[in-house]
Parts: sequence; structure tokens; C-alpha cells
Amino acid sequence: MPRRSSSTSGSGWPTPVDAVTLLVGVDIGNSTTEACLAELGPDGPRYLGGALAPTSGVKGTAENVPGVVKVVQEALSATGSAQHEVAAVLVNEATPVISGLAMETITETVITESTMIGHNPDTPAGAGLGTGTTVAFTELGSCGPGEHVICVVGAGVDFEDAAVGIAAARDRGVEVTGAVVQADDANLIVNRLPAPIPVVDEVTLIGKVPLGMPAAVEVAEPGRTVRTLSNSYGLATLFDLDPDQTRLVAPVARALVGNRSAVVVRTPSGDIADRRIPAGTLTLIGEHARLSVGVDAGADEIMATLRRVAPLADATGEAGTHVGGMLATVRDAMADTLSDTAEEQDVHIQDVLAVDTFVPQLVTGALAGEFALENAVALAAMVRTSRAPMEALADQLRSALDVDVHVGGVEADMAVLGALTTPGTERPLAVLDLGGGSTDAALATGHGEVRSVHLAGAGDLVTKLIDSELGLDNREVAEDIKKSPLAKAESFFHVRMEDGTARFFDEPLPAEAFARVVVLGEEGMRPVPTRYSLEQVRQVRRSAKHKVFVVNALRALERVAPGGNLREIGFVVVLGGSALDFEIPDMIAEAVAGAGIVCGTGNVRGCEGPRNAVATGLVDDHTGRAR
Amino acid sequence: MTSMEARPERVLDAVERGEATVGSRPDEVVIGISPAFGDFFTKTIVGIPHSEVLRELLAGVEEQGVQARVIRYRSGSDLAVIAHSAARLSGSGIGVGVLSRGTTMIHQKDLVRLSNLELFPQAPLLDPETFRKVGRNAARYAKAESPEPVPARNDYMARPRWQAKAALLHIKETEFVTPDAPPVELDVRIRLADAG
Repeated sequence: MPRRSSSTSGSGWPTPVDAVTLLVGVDIGNSTTEACLAELGPDGPRYLGGALAPTSGVKGTAENVPGVVKVVQEALSATGSAQHEVAAVLVNEATPVISGLAMETITETVITESTMIGHNPDTPAGAGLGTGTTVAFTELGSCGPGEHVICVVGAGVDFEDAAVGIAAARDRGVEVTGAVVQADDANLIVNRLPAPIPVVDEVTLIGKVPLGMPAAVEVAEPGRTVRTLSNSYGLATLFDLDPDQTRLVAPVARALVGNRSAVVVRTPSGDIADRRIPAGTLTLIGEHARLSVGVDAGADEIMATLRRVAPLADATGEAGTHVGGMLATVRDAMADTLSDTAEEQDVHIQDVLAVDTFVPQLVTGALAGEFALENAVALAAMVRTSRAPMEALADQLRSALDVDVHVGGVEADMAVLGALTTPGTERPLAVLDLGGGSTDAALATGHGEVRSVHLAGAGDLVTKLIDSELGLDNREVAEDIKKSPLAKAESFFHVRMEDGTARFFDEPLPAEAFARVVVLGEEGMRPVPTRYSLEQVRQVRRSAKHKVFVVNALRALERVAPGGNLREIGFVVVLGGSALDFEIPDMIAEAVAGAGIVCGTGNVRGCEGPRNAVATGLVDDHTGRAR
Repeated sequence: MTSMEARPERVLDAVERGEATVGSRPDEVVIGISPAFGDFFTKTIVGIPHSEVLRELLAGVEEQGVQARVIRYRSGSDLAVIAHSAARLSGSGIGVGVLSRGTTMIHQKDLVRLSNLELFPQAPLLDPETFRKVGRNAARYAKAESPEPVPARNDYMARPRWQAKAALLHIKETEFVTPDAPPVELDVRIRLADAG
């Protein structure tokens, strides 16, 4: 790097004039630390490059030093500069943000007296509807001719024996109209019968099926769903029910909608209930009001309550519930982070985001391991402080790097300055920073005033939603699904992409990808261990992103827009790690398009994409003030 | 159907029907058996009758509504080669290979020989339920579904305990190899022993 002569260096620049001319802006974020290296010239800064590294420790604490040192050295070596050429390192006023997530399941399905079997075996057999009294296979011989029976084939009965037994009973005139089988044998039995009957198989807890009770078995043709057992009046007709009883079986019918096969047993007081689980209350404390809301009321109700108490001063959850625990953990984590600063600070929850979701859960009392999608509420909360132990960080940095370190610049202001280097933007401009733990927004009005807001809920919540809605129990896989498009490996040489196009390969795909839904990540193809189809996984992914990012983007922009009017914002620049996502920026652009806003992913300095905005803003601000 | 004791004894009748040809049905799975399977040998390394092994494999395929053909591979006793040959003869491209001692593999025609879709290397741990699941998964691959792999059991004592016997069985099986003989189509009938 050629050194500039003293005459060209700006006047009033605080460092020795003929020595060094490089500036490094460093942005310490929640998950990444970014640097922007610039050379000072007479006509303002000339940007040389940037670098990026994971943040070490909690943002805004002295633990960040190794990360900052690493990123500064990387930026220097990438441009072939030496450390002694650096005049100053500029660090933003990084304030710690800690966020937490919790989920409460708020409904459960309970079947009593083994009333129904509503699982969806892969291969039921036969087609049609059979009704009769439930009889164990071993008792089939004692049934008289003309009797209508449903045969219950327990464990240990071979499919050939079952077929022979059922056929023999039918030959004697016993009307065996359907069967319920423990093993995966439905087609094997039906293929060996002279005339097919509907058979539902894979009923694991077959011993619990009540015997001697009126019952019905229905199997639909492939690609169709049951029609009679999923209809309350169909059940009323079959079991000769009066209006009161029909009212009672309505939930059974509803639970069977969409199944290809079903069994309903009429027991004296059998029932299926959709129960709401008390999930505790959330108390939202505003500056003027304090309202409590039951978590089981759902996300809409929680968010409506939040709007009524806004601005939120703090929130607490009922002790002993997940929500209460989560809010306490978030608060404690922040208190620990700040404990090394001398001042005692009160830590308050600053924002809460509630999202409706569902969790696949085993049905209580089910005979065949049925799953029901139960409603759940996911909550994200965040705390943020205005004061951080930045001076300690600056001191350590000074000794580690042996250069001048300036702490200054509110993060939001710097982000706006950086975002303004995106070609085609001007004030009034709003910045949406989509991170991992929080969604931040800032608006710069025409007169240079900046308003900012920090909201709970971002990328981590999306990952959690994907994880729980697909029942993956694997954050890494959920993260993969969030980040990349899906495909289905249809052969060893081609995949069907989620948009329906085919993509061919010259080399065979890995064996473990064959026939699976795969994620087309940067490191190649990764199979997703799921029983859901590509379409279902895609649906879950998109709705999770919508529920978190689109909702939060609108919430954030409304909070910073003058008078809450989105039309007053001219430009929205999307920044942050999640802005690199392949669909989130488009979803947000679509959502705000109605308000006449130009919205897009930022391109800081025309080359950095949505990264490096704060680091660039720091340099820009510093040189602006210097000149 | 967990214990072998509860099962009536069944007999495997396999009649050769000439050289095996490539199938044209997209809904078929070809099961390839080794040279001495159900012939010189009648049971696996842990005594499961070959009639039972084949019956469960066939039942697993049938339950999924898929057709099955059985061939005998004669010119080798290597599982990957047998399974891959079965896959290449299969209209769906999915084949299952099974050795006399019980080792089993699901293969696909486009895979390289030494690869596989699912491998069950520890023959002593394979029970009739596992063979049923292998048949089911093979059929589900043939239907272009995404079956979850059959849980492969592992017993680190199986190797030291059974390796010598497995080696002897392999040597014996290899004696039945007829070099250059093409695979033959089999007509398989499995009947109760006391029924004649």
C-alpha cells in the first residue's frame, strides 16, 4: 500500500499526518463480526475490502476481542496491508441482545374407550364399508350364520391362516364384513380371500379393541378418503343414533376427515375430545397498563394484548410454565452478561413475538399410534440494554491491536449510513436488519433524524418452527431446510426441484439421497429424514418464514414510520444474515409492495450485498466528521 | 409372529424356468437368491428356514401391491453381485439379494456394484420380521416412495461369535458356483410341510 503524503491527508485528522492512512470499521453483531477497510483520500474514503468472522462471546462484552482482532487482521491481509498502517479502528456502540424461545402445546386429543382407529396405514386393503359386531379371530368359529361381524385379528396370526379362517366363516354364512389386523397384513389377507372385504391393518394395540361391540370398518379406494365414517350423519345412520348421540360422535367424524381408512367402535361412553391444556398466563406490562393473557388463547390474542399495552416495559410469565421459565432465563442471561460492569442495571423484556404453530403429538388413548397435529404457541422474547461495557472492550482492543480504537456511533444510525451506499437509494430510507435472534429496523428521515426499533423473533425462531412442525427433533436439519431449496431425488441421475423442473447429473447421486427429499445446500445434497412429502416440507418452511419475518417486518416498519404510515417510507433496504436467504427478501418485498415502497436486499458499497452495512457506516461517519 | 417355534414348518419348492430375462413391469422387485439357497442349504446361519426367509420377503413386497420375481444367481456367491444382477433384471430397477446364510441387500440398477440402497450385513441378527421389512422397503423404492431405512441392528459380538461359521458357509456356498452360468428364473411355491 503506497503511503500518502501528509499534504493529501485531511486537515483536522487527529492522527499524525504523515504516518498512516487506513481506517477499519468493525461491526460486532450477535453472530458475526464484520470489518470494512478503507483508505483515506482527499475526496473521502476509498474502500479497499472487508472481512467477516464469527463473533466471540456475547455481543458488546470484552469477550468479543479475539473475534475483532481476527477480522481486522483478515481484512488487512486480504488487501496486503500491514497493521502499522492502520490509523484507527472504529467500533460500534454494540449493545447486547439476548433472545429466548419457548413453545407451549395448547391442545391435546384424547380418545376414551378405544372408540376409533384413525391412523393411516400405508396399505389398508379392500374397499368399501363393513359393519358388524367385533369378534376376535379365534372366536370366529362360534359365530352363527347370518351374523354380521368385524373380525379382529390379533398378534401372532399368520396371514394365510387369517385368510383361511375368514373364508371358512364366510362359507358357513357368517357375514364377515371387515377386519382389523395387528400386523401389516391387510393386502396379504385380502389377496387370499375369494371376495375382498375392507381391512385396516397395523393396529399396534389391537388387544384394546373392545369386543362384542357394534363397529364399522371403512377403506377408500387409493387416492380417496373415507366418506361415511367421517360424516356425523353417516355414523348416525350406521349406529342408529338419536340427535343427542349424534352430537357426541361429531368429534369422532371430524377426527377421521382426510383418512383413507378408519374404524369406529360404538361403546357406551366412548368419546374423543379435543382438550385445551392450560398453559399459564403471560403478563405484559406497558408504560400505562398491565394486562394478562392466557397463552392458550393463541398468538393473535397475545399480539393484540401486546398492542394494547404498547410500548412494552416488561413481561413476565406464570412460574412453572415454559413461558415463565423462558422469560426468566432470558433475563438472567442478560443480568449475567452485565454483571461485570460496575453499575447495577434493571433488565426488562423489550419485545415479545407470539406465533401460532402446530406440533405432531401422539393421541392419548390411541390404538395404532395415531398422531394428531396439536396447536401450540411459540414465543420469542428479547432483552437489550442501552449501556454496555464497551470501554472495557475498547481498552483491551487497544492493547491487542496497538492502534487507536474509537467507540462511537449508534448501531442503527451506522446501519442507515451503510445502507445508503446501496446504489439507487436516498432518504427517507428504512433499514430492516434480519438477524438470528432479533429483527431490527431503523428509519432515517429527510432531516437526518434516525428512529430505531428492536423486535423479538428472527431466524432462530424460524428454525425452531420448522423443527417442531415437521417433528424433526434435529436443529441442524431444520437449519438446512430453512436455508436452501428442496428437491426429490427421483433417480440416481436426476432430481425434481421444488418448482417442478428436473435437473440432471452426469455422476450418480449418493446412495443415501436416492428416493429422498433432499436439501440442495452449498455443501451439496443432504437427505432430509422425514416422512413428509417435498410439498409439505416446503409449505412448512414458507409459512414459518412468513409467520416470523413478514409479520416482524411489517411490525417494525409500522413502529418506525412517521405516524405509523408505511407510505411515508420511500426505500426499504433489507440487511443482515437472513437477507441472504433465497426467499425471505422476496416475501417481504411482496408484503410491502402495496404501500408503494421500493424494497430490496441491500448492496452495501455496490459490492458487499446485505453485509457490512454498519462497518461501512462507521467509516463513512468518521471520515464525514473528520472532513 | 415373533418366535420361530410358533411357525408351522414350510417347504420351499423352486422350479427352474429357464434363463432369467429383464422385466418390463415398472412395478416389480426381483429377489436374487444365491447358488445354494433353498437347495443345498435350507436355513440361515441362525436356523431360519429359507422357505420362511423367502416367504417374508415376498409377503413384504406383496403387501405393498408390488409384484415379485425370484431368480437364482449361479455364477457367483458375492452378495453385491447377486443383488445388483437382480436389480438389473428388475423392471423397476430395484432388486434384493440374499445369501444362504441370510445376509441381505437392497440394490438399484444405476448404483455401482459395491454400493447399495440398504445392506443387512450381520446375518445372525436377521429375523423373519426384518425380512418382511426388507421386502416392504424394496417395494416402496420400486413405487418411488421414500421409505425409512429398515433399522439395522448391530451386535459387536456377532462378528467374533459367528465369523468362523459364516466363513465356512461362504466357502461351501462358493462350491456351488457354476462359472458363466446365467441367472435362472424360479417358480417359487411355499407350502406347509404336512400338506404333502
